Amino acid sequence: MFSGKRNALRTSAAWRIAAWPTVAFAVGVALALSIMYFFVARDIRARSDAWLSGEAETLADVSAKTPRDNLYGRLVEEVAELATHEVSNTSLPGQQQNSVFFLQIQPNEEPIWVGPAPKERFIQAIQSAQLAPGTPGNVRFEGFDLPFRVVYHARDSGGGIYLGFADLSGAKMLDRLTELCLLVWAITVFLGFLITWLAAYGTLSRVERISDTVSRIGSEDLSSRLPEGPHPDEISRLSKTFNKMLDRIQSSVHQLRVLTDSVAHDLKSPVTSIRGALEVALAQTDRAQLQERVAEAIEGLDRLSDMLNTTLDLAEADGGALPLQKEPIELAGLIQPLVDLYQPAMDERGHRVTTQLRPIVVDADPSLMNRLIVNLLDNEVAHLPAGCEINILLQARGQHAEIVVQDNGPGFPPELLSRAFERFVKGEHSSGHGLGLAFVQAVVTAHGGGVRLSNQPRGGAVITLSMPMVAVPVEEPRPGLETPGVGLR
Amino acid sequence: MRLLVVEDDSAILDFLKRGLSESGYQVDTARDGKSAQALAADAVYDGFIIDLGLPDMDGLDLISRCRAQGHKAPVLILSARRSVDERVRGLEQGGDDYLTKPFALAELVARLRNLLRRGATPQQEAVRLHVADLELDLIRREARRGGQLLQLTTQEFALLEYLVRNTGRVVTRTMILDEVWHMHIDPATNVVEVQIYRLRKKVDEDGKRPLIHTIRGVGYVLRET
Repeated sequence: MFSGKRNALRTSAAWRIAAWPTVAFAVGVALALSIMYFFVARDIRARSDAWLSGEAETLADVSAKTPRDNLYGRLVEEVAELATHEVSNTSLPGQQQNSVFFLQIQPNEEPIWVGPAPKERFIQAIQSAQLAPGTPGNVRFEGFDLPFRVVYHARDSGGGIYLGFADLSGAKMLDRLTELCLLVWAITVFLGFLITWLAAYGTLSRVERISDTVSRIGSEDLSSRLPEGPHPDEISRLSKTFNKMLDRIQSSVHQLRVLTDSVAHDLKSPVTSIRGALEVALAQTDRAQLQERVAEAIEGLDRLSDMLNTTLDLAEADGGALPLQKEPIELAGLIQPLVDLYQPAMDERGHRVTTQLRPIVVDADPSLMNRLIVNLLDNEVAHLPAGCEINILLQARGQHAEIVVQDNGPGFPPELLSRAFERFVKGEHSSGHGLGLAFVQAVVTAHGGGVRLSNQPRGGAVITLSMPMVAVPVEEPRPGLETPGVGLR
Repeated sequence: MRLLVVEDDSAILDFLKRGLSESGYQVDTARDGKSAQALAADAVYDGFIIDLGLPDMDGLDLISRCRAQGHKAPVLILSARRSVDERVRGLEQGGDDYLTKPFALAELVARLRNLLRRGATPQQEAVRLHVADLELDLIRREARRGGQLLQLTTQEFALLEYLVRNTGRVVTRTMILDEVWHMHIDPATNVVEVQIYRLRKKVDEDGKRPLIHTIRGVGYVLRET
């Protein structure tokens, strides 16, 4: 269990989700810190440069104004010494290097040097550095890690003075700043990663819980549901969708169970009668009688397979698995031949059939439409008492083709009106198997239409089918209504 | 005429063999695709009856393989599946006709006969058909019984023509709907029975020897006795 948990942690998508924001965060923070560092470093340099320039000017002033006597060298040295001491803390602990120097070069005289020894090395490096007067520049000296900022001040009497300063405290400060920045960077990046990861993991673990629950539901029972959570976010919606799907699955499973029960029930009586007929046949000695019984059995079997076929069609239609081979069909041309076929059977029962069919084209599966009309006609034949009038209408209503079958029979029993589309629901005196209207509805629904059942106020049933029409105008009436699209041969 | 019947259900295979033998065919049987292929490799058959649900391969594959082996004889497909899609696929992949279970033996024999005739030289298209004292003029679309003109509707004439063309052979309701009305439907009510009943009233009038006979549980036959 624990290793499973650890494994789930290892394979969690939270790592991947957290990785990219973290990279972006790290780069951003690094950029911000660098900019801050740059400005601090520039400020420190500007401050030391300002001090350098000011001091150099003062010293140049002193050196120019001091009378040139024997004490001139000593005096300038003194002043310079004082100036260099102005910078407090100018040497690093343990590193006894003075970090300020003063140099005055004058023609035909010994240069005046205040600073670390040996002065020759410095003087040579300074002179070769070629500094522009007044602007501080960097000069590196052997034995010093830090470059010196050196300012050069030209003198009117020729030569010039140099003041140099290695800002050890500034460098130290910048070093400390660098360390601090790195630390801050590391901590913020780590915290950023942690927070993103935790957020991602928290969200994903809700998904994980859903997947756990669903897998349990799949293998155990269909009645449990996912918790939907208080916030209507994506994951709650996911749970909701799953729950809806489960509702549908549960209801289909339930339907299937009911269907199986009713099929089993409805199979039992024909099977019993077939068995009975065959048993009687077995005991028959009279050949004519025997043939009669066997024929009875065969007829029973035909009815049985008929019922099975319709049940299968219905199951296909309800499962959305009904393969629709749609093509534009001129409905009147499809209905009329079927009505003609049924005409004698209607006559036999004393029914009068009238049709009012307008030429309307729908996009539908011809073989299914044929069976649909057959079902409607069968329905009329099976349920009407002798001598009724049946009227079949085909008309356009808006964007829909409407097929209306109405009769002046007893109409639907009221208790049946709402349930007539359910399978195996049939009238008390019906001889059908109760699948006809369910099939009609399944086919019409599969084509994007609808079916309405009602009773006329004056009595008689009305079945109204509505199917979406094809957007093309009605074609030219074809010469001689051929039976459209029935044969597959 | 030699036939190869491939069907894995032994009960169906038995009754097919018996029924087809009684109709005068020489019947070889196979219960799976492999043995069917072995049989087909050694013999020449005039027709095949192949069930789609074989234990070792899809019946459609078997048909393709037989065709690849050079067999040109017609194939009648048997299937428990009755979707239009399945039917179209079967006919596209080399089947010549398609029959769904359960079927009437009479219908299978009739369809088989049609298929086998297709390969034969076409008969001279008759203009008149005769059975006993019944005479059909196919050009004028008129029928006479004992010289007396029968008042038939177009549909009734087409039905009578179909029965006469199949004189002596049983035709089923499905076959009649298929061949006369060109409708592949399965009415739950007795539409065909009523059509036959009306035709019979006109053809076999009182006192005349009945020509149209009902074979209960199977279908109808037109014959002299």
